[in-house]
Amino acid sequence: MRRTLLILTVACALASCSTSKTLYSWYDYEDVSYKYSKLGTEKAQNAMIIEYEKLINKQKGSRNVVPPGLLAEYGFILCSMDREEEGLKYLKSEITLYPESEIYISRIIKQLQK
Amino acid sequence: MRKAIIILGVFAVALSSCSSSKLLTRAEQYPLMYSDKPQTIVIMPPINQTTFAEAKDYFYTTLYYPLCEKGYYVFSPFLTQQLFQQESAYDAELFIEGDLSTFREILGADAAMFTIIKDWKKSGLLSQITVEIEYILRSTITGETLYTRGGRIVLDTSVDTGSGLLINMVASAINTAATEKIVAGRKCNVIVLSDLPCGKYSPDYGIDAKYKAGVPYIK
Repeated sequence: MRRTLLILTVACALASCSTSKTLYSWYDYEDVSYKYSKLGTEKAQNAMIIEYEKLINKQKGSRNVVPPGLLAEYGFILCSMDREEEGLKYLKSEITLYPESEIYISRIIKQLQK
Repeated sequence: MRKAIIILGVFAVALSSCSSSKLLTRAEQYPLMYSDKPQTIVIMPPINQTTFAEAKDYFYTTLYYPLCEKGYYVFSPFLTQQLFQQESAYDAELFIEGDLSTFREILGADAAMFTIIKDWKKSGLLSQITVEIEYILRSTITGETLYTRGGRIVLDTSVDTGSGLLINMVASAINTAATEKIVAGRKCNVIVLSDLPCGKYSPDYGIDAKYKAGVPYIK
């Protein structure tokens, strides 16, 4: 019994040194976005769109929301694909979720609507 | 009795591996992070001091994920890169000691993260990649340096010995499309920025002031 208690104490001490869950789910975002920015091909763009949809709809991080900036990125790319109405919706969603982004995202929206 | 002593010994080692009494707390080492409380960060294009020309592009986007995971609102590098290029501001050397108020006005950024890549090379025979990077976070309001830390990380691409969830996630990328050099940069970020005080979206925001800070330079 005493031994079990000691083992539990050691486990708790170790657990206090590290966090076990990330704030957001990132899936393969880093690799897919790097490929897209380097190659800029239609295939890479399609992979990016699939990645954004996963990032937006399947968040399993502790905050359970989309990471900062990604709704805006997705919206911007949709606008560049002539899906402006849909794209603007995501850009505005970025401001709703993260009001601190308003100055910059509003600027992007204005530029896109020119 | 002997068993109890051994278990207590293990306990003492476990605790000592997590902290060191010689280290300052984060509030002591980075006081301006706790008084200025930056919430939004813009990642500046890296300053490349190496002969590896692609280091800048390789490294630029890798800071996004670890800074978001620290609890900050981080402006998407994908979007800001276009802004920097449009405004002919892709050379962060122009801003590292200059006025940053433009980034507050245009983006709403509280702070700008500068990085200086000092070394980034692969040793072919040893399958080792060495990355040396200095990180400097400056306030766009006061111009003060809020946080600075550097590190020289060696990644053995044949074996990964990293521990912890974030590092394991980074290491797992070795098997994906990412090149080994990008993985080395990502690992450097996670290790060096581990003592960066957390932003408001982190459950550790504010309470991490009493946590131990790391050494100013990791080797």
